[in-house]
Amino acid sequence: MRELYEQLKRLFPLGEYAEQRRDLSFVTVPQEHLRPLLIHLRDRAGFTHLVLLTAVDWLEEGFFQLTYLLNDRAAKRDLGLRVLIPRDGATMEGIHDLWPTAATYQRELREMFGIDFPGSPRVNEEFILEGWTGMPPYRRDFDTKKFSEENFNHRPGRATKDPAKHMKEKLYPDEA
Amino acid sequence: MKIRDLLSPFTVWKNLFRDPVTIDDPVRQRPGAPRYRGFHKNDVKKCIGCGTCETICQNGAIDMVPVDGISAKDGDSGLRPRIDYGRCCWCALCVDVCMTKSLTMSNDYQWIDRDPDAFRFTPGVDRKKWDDAALGYQRPDDHRLTPEERVHMKELGPDARIGSFIEIVKGYSVEEARKEADRCVACGLCTATCPAHMAIPDYIAAIRDGDYERGLRLLYDTNPLPEVCGRVCTHKCESVCAVRHEGDPVAIRWLKRHIADQVPLDQYRAIVGATEPATGKKVAVVGAGPAGLSAAYYLARMGHAVEIFEALPAAGGMMRYGIPEYRLPYDQLDKDIAFVMGLGVKLTLNTRVGKDIALDDLRKRFDALFISTGLHLGRSTKVPGADHPKVFQSIDLLRRVTLGEEIFCPGEAIVIGGGNVAMDIARTLARLQMRKYGKVGVTLLCLETEDVMPADREEIIESREEGVILRPGYGPTHIETDGDRVTGARFVRCLSVFDENGRFAPRFDTADEIAISGAMVVESIGQGMDLSYLPDDLKNQIVFERGRPKVDRHFRTSVPWLYAGGDIVQGPDVIHGIANGHAAAVGIDRYLREGGTT
Repeated sequence: MRELYEQLKRLFPLGEYAEQRRDLSFVTVPQEHLRPLLIHLRDRAGFTHLVLLTAVDWLEEGFFQLTYLLNDRAAKRDLGLRVLIPRDGATMEGIHDLWPTAATYQRELREMFGIDFPGSPRVNEEFILEGWTGMPPYRRDFDTKKFSEENFNHRPGRATKDPAKHMKEKLYPDEA
Repeated sequence: MKIRDLLSPFTVWKNLFRDPVTIDDPVRQRPGAPRYRGFHKNDVKKCIGCGTCETICQNGAIDMVPVDGISAKDGDSGLRPRIDYGRCCWCALCVDVCMTKSLTMSNDYQWIDRDPDAFRFTPGVDRKKWDDAALGYQRPDDHRLTPEERVHMKELGPDARIGSFIEIVKGYSVEEARKEADRCVACGLCTATCPAHMAIPDYIAAIRDGDYERGLRLLYDTNPLPEVCGRVCTHKCESVCAVRHEGDPVAIRWLKRHIADQVPLDQYRAIVGATEPATGKKVAVVGAGPAGLSAAYYLARMGHAVEIFEALPAAGGMMRYGIPEYRLPYDQLDKDIAFVMGLGVKLTLNTRVGKDIALDDLRKRFDALFISTGLHLGRSTKVPGADHPKVFQSIDLLRRVTLGEEIFCPGEAIVIGGGNVAMDIARTLARLQMRKYGKVGVTLLCLETEDVMPADREEIIESREEGVILRPGYGPTHIETDGDRVTGARFVRCLSVFDENGRFAPRFDTADEIAISGAMVVESIGQGMDLSYLPDDLKNQIVFERGRPKVDRHFRTSVPWLYAGGDIVQGPDVIHGIANGHAAAVGIDRYLREGGTT
């Protein structure tokens, strides 16, 4: 798939290239070049199918990574486009006009990561979370443990022991 | 209307004759995928009860519980994880973090029971039908949440270090220490094994947080010699570190040193705190080694007036007069000692109790005594020739080197012994020879084969790097002398060191004899104690056990006002001495507060 990358590189300013398998590669793309590149891939390079759109929270670095995974059915290969967007006020141009199914992914990302896709159909409607008011739960600073402790009861009769304290109790109870 | 549109409803009829896609009972006949995350399995023999599974669980689904037949021991808390499947979300973080890879998942996910409490059980302990399932999720080998390799410690190379006594180990930078501290999973298994029971995970957490003041306070809670222990501790903690099962143990010793290195001495008092109000009680400590200094430190903090009597010209005991400078620089030892003295502890040097001052005098002047005089008498092999003046005791030579005396140092020397002290003298002689002759000529022989030599592994590696020739597995038969000169020694192959009862009873193959040439022989096969300073009537009141004074858990001898600790009670080890001194201080304090009579 490196030839494809070399070809694309002549047309678009591309970032890092990573080949994960012979039939699966990833390319980093500047945010503003995503749309023309997607159109090119869909209409001229055979990548007609949007497999998925997902995100990774790079909390420490301060950005979200969006991954647009495309499939070229004829050539049986997948290409993932990675776009980094600032985490603060995360907003991205939608691609639902290119693939209508993208609207569903965009709605999910809005709900789970808090990434906005202005103009995407029903993007602000609840997707799977009902009545969620807190921080989007796929953000890495979301405290899963705290949420589960606050929302789910423990069955009565549970007890746990701290390993170090238990060892002191058993092995050297009288020592300082 | 096309003909196809008319016919198409009938095309489905062809499906009547095909095998059904769905099956009758999907539940009973569909095993999970090979890597399915089903009910947990735990190899309880491999599990060490570190509790990292409980810590990482984002659902609070895991409890660490005691289990019949598994008891707490070094490196194993004796606890095992119990999982509440009412909360488990099958994410497998617990499997991914497991330090021993004992916790895995079966591909079994089907289980019906009317009792909700049945879904809370201890995998591997409570038998389940999936315990032997071959399939299911396991952490892939290359998938680790904690780095396997410790942060590299910069050290002087052999060429740079052999010509001098400069410290070999450079210490971590703040950045490196934080990275190494990040490898700790804070299970706390190490604390039980550390003789001083130091709060290891807590001070490592302090490094992570960059809070060196908290770190130093935690060190001094249990150990008043952190610069020393951060360098030369036998670090038994690292031998039980949970991380060691799938990688290098956390560099606990270097991290301790890092904390002490980061804080200047003049800030110690403000950080660690002042002493308690004076009690008016006086305690004498005999011997300024690790145990004596530790006892003095904690007694002083408790408000007692402490005076240490030391025979040699400086405090430190074996830390100064045994351990060479390249392992423990004197300025670092002095830093630890200075803080103990800064609490108002009085140090009387060059005063040998029993000679310069009688123990009875001390008894009259002080309310309690702590004796920690160490093991300063070298043991001899007693082979023919061992009484020759050119046959030395390692401990005497090391002391004389520290005192600045010039010692006899020929171009060829033989060291007998396989422990750390033997390594110390071999490597000291190597350095002196390098200065004097420009080359190293030390041969070290010991009864043990290399795999069971008592010396630390790094001592064996480093002494070889420095040009010391090691001949493990040989015992001396006699030392060859010629008038006032030693010319060499003969050795025979040692077949085994201990008998089947674990008693020292070496067996030799006298047919396999070797001759080693050398103009000096240094014996380093162990040390004994000199308790001649104890008056006979007192000695008669003290109960001895296998040659050592018998003490209770507060290190009190059979004489109520006499406490003993350190090497004379527990054998040669700095950290045991420190722990003994601390325990004795607690005991002495209680004894004094109760009136000092019983």
